[in-house]
Amino acid sequence: MAEVVTGAKNCIGVGCPKDAGALQCPTCLKLGKESSFCSQDCFKRSWSEHKSVHKSGSIALHNPFPTFPYTGPLRPIYPLSERRTVPESIPHPNYAKTEGGNPNYKFAARNSITCLDKKQQAGMRKVCRMAREVLDVAARELKPGVTTDYIDEVVHKECIKRDSYPSPLNYSGFPKSVCTSLNEVICHGIPDQRMIREGDIINLDVTLYHGGFHGDLNETYYIGEKALKDRESVRVVETARECLEEAIKLVKPGMAFKDPGTVIEKHAKSKGCGVIRTYCGHGINSLFHCAPNIPHYDKNKAVGIAKPGMTFTIEPMISLGSFRDKTWPDDWTSVTLDGSRTAQFEHTLLVTEDGVEVLTARLADSPGGPVEMPPELKADGEGAANGASDK
Amino acid sequence: MMFVDEEEPPNLVDVTHPSASAVANPITSRLQDISLAKVPLTIVTGYLGAGKTTLVNYILKEQHGKKIAVILNEFGDSADVEKALTVTQDGQETQEWLELANGCICCSIKDSGVNAIESLMSRRGTFDYILLETSGLADPGNLAPLFWVDDGLGSTIYLDGIVTLVDAKNILLSLDEMPVEGKGDAEHEGMHMTTAHLQISHADVIVINKCDSVTPEQLGTIEKRIAGINGLAKIHRTQYSQVPKLESFLLDLHAYDGVESLDAMSKGHSHLDPTISTIALPLPPLTPRQLSSLESWLRSVLWESILPVVPIPGHDSESESAFAIHRLKGRIFTTTDTVKMIQGVREVFEIVDLDRGRSDGKGMESKEEGKLVLIGRGLDEDAFGRSLRARLGAA
Repeated sequence: MAEVVTGAKNCIGVGCPKDAGALQCPTCLKLGKESSFCSQDCFKRSWSEHKSVHKSGSIALHNPFPTFPYTGPLRPIYPLSERRTVPESIPHPNYAKTEGGNPNYKFAARNSITCLDKKQQAGMRKVCRMAREVLDVAARELKPGVTTDYIDEVVHKECIKRDSYPSPLNYSGFPKSVCTSLNEVICHGIPDQRMIREGDIINLDVTLYHGGFHGDLNETYYIGEKALKDRESVRVVETARECLEEAIKLVKPGMAFKDPGTVIEKHAKSKGCGVIRTYCGHGINSLFHCAPNIPHYDKNKAVGIAKPGMTFTIEPMISLGSFRDKTWPDDWTSVTLDGSRTAQFEHTLLVTEDGVEVLTARLADSPGGPVEMPPELKADGEGAANGASDK
Repeated sequence: MMFVDEEEPPNLVDVTHPSASAVANPITSRLQDISLAKVPLTIVTGYLGAGKTTLVNYILKEQHGKKIAVILNEFGDSADVEKALTVTQDGQETQEWLELANGCICCSIKDSGVNAIESLMSRRGTFDYILLETSGLADPGNLAPLFWVDDGLGSTIYLDGIVTLVDAKNILLSLDEMPVEGKGDAEHEGMHMTTAHLQISHADVIVINKCDSVTPEQLGTIEKRIAGINGLAKIHRTQYSQVPKLESFLLDLHAYDGVESLDAMSKGHSHLDPTISTIALPLPPLTPRQLSSLESWLRSVLWESILPVVPIPGHDSESESAFAIHRLKGRIFTTTDTVKMIQGVREVFEIVDLDRGRSDGKGMESKEEGKLVLIGRGLDEDAFGRSLRARLGAA
């Protein structure tokens, strides 16, 4: 059962076609790596090749919080790469250099929401379009074997190419330029030395700061055929995608900010999924996060009504199991309490006179996009490990 | 150093994860999502010297079998410092540190203080009760929305109510003094409103302390003035912060999940305080359309601070008077035979079904009228009544 959601691991034995069980190389475990084999014999046959893995890199990779009760199979793999720098010529947001990255946002009343004028809207349109481009470039680099740190490098360089500051960098102390959230990570995953694997799902959350405005979006992607064939992964990712689409349909002048949550929770429930409560959509303009708050769950007391010129995000986080979350000791990485997979999609939206403009909309050639639910596999070997519990 | 023996492969280790069995089990997941019994939190406010600490100590003594957490000072205002919390049980005090996460405060929906209390309870075991003793100058209206957590969040704590202590000897002076410079936001500028007003207007219970220091006549005046400000709160007179009974007098009020005391308003009221008053607006049984009209009226009043204007022939149609709602309660009867409750503090409000409907067979209830009670600054009962009636009538 456990493997239904987490996805069966391939045995990494040389030329071995089998799935791995719970057996792992102890040396790799000590290094914070995960090398799963189907049997001791297979491990023995692969030893002369496998042991070289232990030597790669002069600084041993490790799990920085070995005693932490992780909720699922994913582990942080440190050390993090050196802090990346942004050229001084690129305007920095105020928190880029403050102690702990505190943005020192003033407490604003819940009902004071900024409406942007035409010129400011154009600024938002520009930064959001660039954020979309950067996300698409990064998404094209996603493949088994690259680390999440490499994706961070790509995002960082693409931001600088566009004369933009990567907004997450040092925001409240966040150490990297993008959030990479794999499998059971809900959001705020820190790019590290973890290699992306066949069968993973991964969310990339990109925000750029350019011309005095922030543009924020994220998408979840499937890694390889294995993820595309896993019915549970497809269910959670596509449900999250649909939840965002359904919520955006509501947006127009007069919409109450408490309404998207009702639609999102209803759709998630209809697909047997849960809605993460802890994190919400937010106002965004010259500030990274500001009023309004837009919860993604039903029965919320969010304050305020959408008016032309307001810009905010909606970013539902959907889980296969529990909606409860837990944060790793890195103070950022948020995971599902039961280790089940979770997916998220986000757009930055502008309320227009009669509806909504999706400022971070997909381009004709954007990677990713919706996929069909794969057929149920018969219970012979692989089928037993995949999606058998689907209702 | 770690690679001692690379010649021979070691034995593989079994890493079956203990929690793995729960991973794909929807029942286990659902169970985790059902919140356990929630712990009530009461906010205790009052000027310095009104007797807050004496009251808190009195509660700790009277409820000595219970495990009560006391949090001091303005909690919601500062997210950057570690806060101490004292847990008392059987006369034993222990200090705990609340770990306020420095994570993404802005896009995390729960107040970091609520999170810190929850995580402390999950590490050290739950409390029976939480008392939040504010500083003398705290505006409880800023704190209440933080702890009035959405039901959907499944928090392990809930806001039970706000208790305000006033010192009988000084309260009238406090109400008449000029507002403290720099205190209060722009919303309150130019209005004669003190922190004492805010502490009384947001209260669910007001304890007039040190009653022995004034004459019975003076006490009567004080009580009238307070009731004129807040016609909903229960008022108790005490000495030495002692009340006859704690449950449902000070604690376990369920001030935010029930509407018991609306009838207190029916005995009439007067505008004894020039600044803040309580008004009551009758609500006829509402059709579903009128219900959504009421909601949009509340949004305008609470979120935009605009009273929808009724055009009267021959009059200017502009409503220029400034107002602000601090607390709001209401009971709605619908034409479809359900009972709903309105709760609000500052701009936050909700309309929810009231559990105890008419099914309990009390014929009295069906004769009862729906009512909306507002406490705040600059409330003109006639203008508000006209505006609301027009909105409902237009539906």
